Amino acid sequence: MRKFLRHPVVDTAVKALSRNRLQTVLTMLGIAVGVATVLAMMAVGAGAQRSIEQQVRAAGLNQITIRAGNWRPKITDSDEAVAHQGDARESLRHPLDRFTGDVVPIAFHPEDDPMEKHDHPTARQRLGDLEAGLGSAATMTFGDAEALRRLPGVQYVAGGIHENVRVHLDGASHSPGRGPSTSAGPGKRWFTRMHGTDVMMPSIKRAWTFAGGRFFSEREQERAAQVIVLGQVVADKLFGPGVTPVGRQVTLWAQPFEVVGVVTSATWVVQPTPGDDQFDAVYMPYTTTQRLLNLSKLNDITVTAESSGDISRLSREITKLLRVRHGIGDNDPDDFTLITQATKALTTGGLPPSVARAVASNVAELEKVTLEQLALTMERASRTMTWLLAAVAAVSLLVGGIGIMNITLLSVTERTREIGLRMAVGARSRDVMRQFLFEAVVISAAGGLAGIVVGVIASVGIARALQWATVVSPWSVALAFGIATGVGVFFGWYPARRASKLDPIVALRRD
Amino acid sequence: MIAVHDLAKQYHVGDHVVHALKGVTMAVAAAEFVTIVGPSGSGKSTFMHILGCLDRPTTGRYVLNGRDVSTLPPDELARVRNETIGFVFQGFNLLARTSALENVELPLLYTRQGVVKAAERRDRAMQALEAVGLTDRAEHHPNQLSGGQQQRVAIARALVTQPSLLLADEPTGNLDSTTSHEVMEIFARLASDRGITIVVITHERDIAAYGSRTVDFKDGLVVTDRTNDALRSSALSVSSVALD
Repeated sequence: MRKFLRHPVVDTAVKALSRNRLQTVLTMLGIAVGVATVLAMMAVGAGAQRSIEQQVRAAGLNQITIRAGNWRPKITDSDEAVAHQGDARESLRHPLDRFTGDVVPIAFHPEDDPMEKHDHPTARQRLGDLEAGLGSAATMTFGDAEALRRLPGVQYVAGGIHENVRVHLDGASHSPGRGPSTSAGPGKRWFTRMHGTDVMMPSIKRAWTFAGGRFFSEREQERAAQVIVLGQVVADKLFGPGVTPVGRQVTLWAQPFEVVGVVTSATWVVQPTPGDDQFDAVYMPYTTTQRLLNLSKLNDITVTAESSGDISRLSREITKLLRVRHGIGDNDPDDFTLITQATKALTTGGLPPSVARAVASNVAELEKVTLEQLALTMERASRTMTWLLAAVAAVSLLVGGIGIMNITLLSVTERTREIGLRMAVGARSRDVMRQFLFEAVVISAAGGLAGIVVGVIASVGIARALQWATVVSPWSVALAFGIATGVGVFFGWYPARRASKLDPIVALRRD
Repeated sequence: MIAVHDLAKQYHVGDHVVHALKGVTMAVAAAEFVTIVGPSGSGKSTFMHILGCLDRPTTGRYVLNGRDVSTLPPDELARVRNETIGFVFQGFNLLARTSALENVELPLLYTRQGVVKAAERRDRAMQALEAVGLTDRAEHHPNQLSGGQQQRVAIARALVTQPSLLLADEPTGNLDSTTSHEVMEIFARLASDRGITIVVITHERDIAAYGSRTVDFKDGLVVTDRTNDALRSSALSVSSVALD
């Protein structure tokens, strides 16, 4: 560095620039603003890209759920929206008639406790019959899950068993006649959803975070340990808000369970609400469920794809594999149901039934369509922002560049005699050219460095103030610096060339 | 050392042509000290520029050290200026805010071998400053030096590449008479002690007398060309006393 600073070209440049210090600094400022904007632009763009990816994952768009059984709500051609699935009588995709028969509309879900007075919607009311398990058949095994795990393109696989349960805080289970108490504490009980699931679940649920404790471990799953993870809603209802119940004990099926963690939503978009099936729920190893309830089947298997664009292909592969494993003949319907976010959105999204049916049966790449639409909307927003910043960056770099040209021309004029002298003692045109180009680049590079500092700070500021994720990559820093240097070379070229073309005789005579 | 044959130079100023040189033929031997006199517009400066390879003649030949340099491309001329020729100007042309030593080092930044290493630059610049008796002023900036000292720094700068030809255009024009004689004395000694060929332009007759030979220019032509041994020796003795 010392040696570099003592190089004559560098030394001369530093001296020349310090001669017009104020102009030099002002010119650098112009470049700095431009570079900072370039950097902020790229940070916002990259941040938007990343948040799109995160939202896609958080929305579970790379997720496929395979549910045992093949019951589907029938979509009638009446005006009734599909969302009211409790009243659905016809199958969306008609399997063979002999398998369906008529589903008798019943007032209560069989798994709901008819004696319970609910202060929240029943599983059936909030999820519909399909999600509540109506029509399920125990056709899927742990072996199926293992087989799916080996499919290419599969990221995670988790088998699940789902039940409606009443969770008691210690002491409550011995007084069954008591009504639900209104405040949290011993004796309190809560009717909720139980998910016997896999240790992989937190990896699948990208939008999860742990308010306290942890998920159950692989070892606990192997041992079928009586450990339980509470959803935020359950923890609040039983222990009261703000209490971390890790290490405490709850009772299910008259069995003691140790609370190892509390799970809650990682994003403000999704808030834990009673009856939401995710945070108004408890989680335990599926092995524990199988042991205690004496089950060997799984209700469903959740699969995530490595790439969310791969859902359609993966769905076909899974169907093929499961049909082979279950020994289903070519003309027989599946004994399982594949649910992706796209089909779910379609059947619960309030589309007129006729439209929903038409779409479901005709759009093969349905997942891709919905994915692309989501990504497109978000990209459009970030692109607008990016173009805006790009325009600002271009203008300020142009202005900064003109500033560089101006100050370099000023320098050439002021130092005409010096140029003449240098030529007289042996400097070639290219030596003079190099000197002035270097000075222009010094200004722009110094401005660029300042701009990088400002740009990084601005990116963090944008992220804080606008809640807009920004990512400053080393690559974008390098590019911003490169652009600054490029501006210096581009706008320094003309003055430097002019200096190099001076006639030494004329230059020496100049006052 | 120098041989020019029928050297002519024309400028185009607007529509008409200015004939600055109309056919100059002369030769300067090695270690000769030539002074050139003449009124302004006589073509002596143009002649000097061509001798200094800052300009090329329109017609005619200029042979420097046995090499025809009249048609060399600009980069080659720059090389000749750097390696063979040293310049001294009326206005000194020292870089402001730059020490005497660094000023003297300047030509060493443009040698064909590239930039001379810092340590060697310093050594050679100090030697050149020693030749003009200014080693104790090496770190001074031009504004801290008297006119005579500044011109001696400029001479040191011209010497640092060890040229065989030293050209000075009115070197005493900005100096008082005492310092003028000191400077001319240095030129005379460089010619006699180091064998450097020296060409000095002046319009002062007593300064011209330092040369072993004085050439008179008028209207782009050489009008007289005479040796002046007597004048030179007398002037030399006077200034020697002054220097001591």
